[in-house]
Amino acid sequence: MRVRFDIKRYDPEKDEAPYFQNYEVELGETDRVLDGLNEIRWRQDGTLTFRRSCEHGICGSDAMRINGRNRLACKTLIREVGRRVRIEPLLGFPVVRDLVVDQQRFFQDYRSVLPFLVNDDPPPPRERLQSPEARRRFDDTTKCILCAACTTACPSAWGNDSFLGPAAIVQAHRFIFDTRDHATVERLARLAGRCGVWACRTAYNCTMACPREIQVTRAIAEVKRAALLGGP
Amino acid sequence: MLERTSFREGLRYRGGSSMWAWMLHRITGLGVLLFLSIHILETFTLSFGPDFYNNTMELYNTIFFRVAEIGLLFAVLYHAINGIRITIQDFWPALWRYERALVWAGFVILIFVFIPLAVWGLLPVFRGEL
Amino acid sequence: MASYPPAPPTGRFEMYSWLFMRVSGIVLLVMAVFHLLLMHYGIGVEQLNYQVVATRWGSPWWRLYDFFLLLLALTHGMNGARILMDEYLRAGGWRLVLKIVLSLLYLLLLVMGAWVIVTF
Ligand code: SF4
Ligand code: FES
Repeated sequence: MRVRFDIKRYDPEKDEAPYFQNYEVELGETDRVLDGLNEIRWRQDGTLTFRRSCEHGICGSDAMRINGRNRLACKTLIREVGRRVRIEPLLGFPVVRDLVVDQQRFFQDYRSVLPFLVNDDPPPPRERLQSPEARRRFDDTTKCILCAACTTACPSAWGNDSFLGPAAIVQAHRFIFDTRDHATVERLARLAGRCGVWACRTAYNCTMACPREIQVTRAIAEVKRAALLGGP
Repeated sequence: MLERTSFREGLRYRGGSSMWAWMLHRITGLGVLLFLSIHILETFTLSFGPDFYNNTMELYNTIFFRVAEIGLLFAVLYHAINGIRITIQDFWPALWRYERALVWAGFVILIFVFIPLAVWGLLPVFRGEL
Repeated sequence: MASYPPAPPTGRFEMYSWLFMRVSGIVLLVMAVFHLLLMHYGIGVEQLNYQVVATRWGSPWWRLYDFFLLLLALTHGMNGARILMDEYLRAGGWRLVLKIVLSLLYLLLLVMGAWVIVTF
């Protein structure tokens, strides 16, 4: 079927303002939005710029606003979006070109929650063991691919420019609830401050946007509780 | 720490029921705060003596204020019910699954409490007493 | 190795603010809704006049009730307004000025309300 793409385009070096450009592509129901974008770029308009890498929902490169909601182009089927697809870059980032945005700030926030295992105990001979139950405690948040769909869908993050955002909290959650990690106090202190979890107003846009189906709002609420009670 | 997003762009985002609930929460909150400020000022006129205060209170007995009071009632009830919902969801994270259902449940409760009270409050207007 | 940004500011003010909004919200749900129903449906706004207030405030308990209602509701509301300012105004001079204005307004209204409750 013929699918019409309305794509927001912007080249800060040439264009005064962003504008929409339309393309028509022949696609099947089970093709993905990304197939449409590739088709346009390869056959119709080589100047259309977007990121993608794995094409299988695991690298997190191609999060964008599809029909007004953050999704991965490589995980969204045409039958979910219909014959008219409106595509815009993620909110809250400077546009580098078309759908490519500068995610510098996002990764800064990510790094500021210490997203790595901190454990200075001498390593045991084989590995740091953990019971399956303890592992399950943070299983959900290990799935994050840092696509930024959640953070850029969050109304608090749109307004509050000191909020670290859902993705950073998800990453912190993964270590806060890991029994092998020893930096819980430090991480919780960072998240209990002005930039942390209290800016979350439980609007659930993040949960709905996450392509990995992580229960983002739930993870944030769990970090809130840990911050309130002083530990996980 | 994203760049600020304009209201227009934010409104165009297709969030779920909780996002609209959140937005209405802010609007009703501001509305109630505005009324509260007026209410404090008007109560303050008590200290200017009976005549002054009674004259001030006369202002409330107009159709405009009667209808505005219904708006206030809505704002207070909505803000209260939605606030409780948010608190519940913050303290019981596992309820995330029922997010949509809880928003709607809140609305149903609101309607059931609000409509009768609104009709009752507007009776003088219907009877043409104002 | 990637460089790590400085630690975001810590401090517990926002946590207490968050907690306060929830706790005071629950208390207000009872107190404010009861107050509203009593005044608008129990007594009726059209009945309200100087004399009615005088009788009501004849009891110190009503004065205490009204004072706590004032304190909680105004603090809850003004804190909400502060949060909105933090979110929708850019950090810097203007926001600071407006927040100072807001704080003064808060104090002024609180004092006016308390004053009339106490001295009436
Ligand atoms: S939590 Fe989900 S939406 Fe957010 S960055 Fe990770 S994968 Fe993307
Ligand atoms: S291209 Fe890798 S997630 Fe879509």
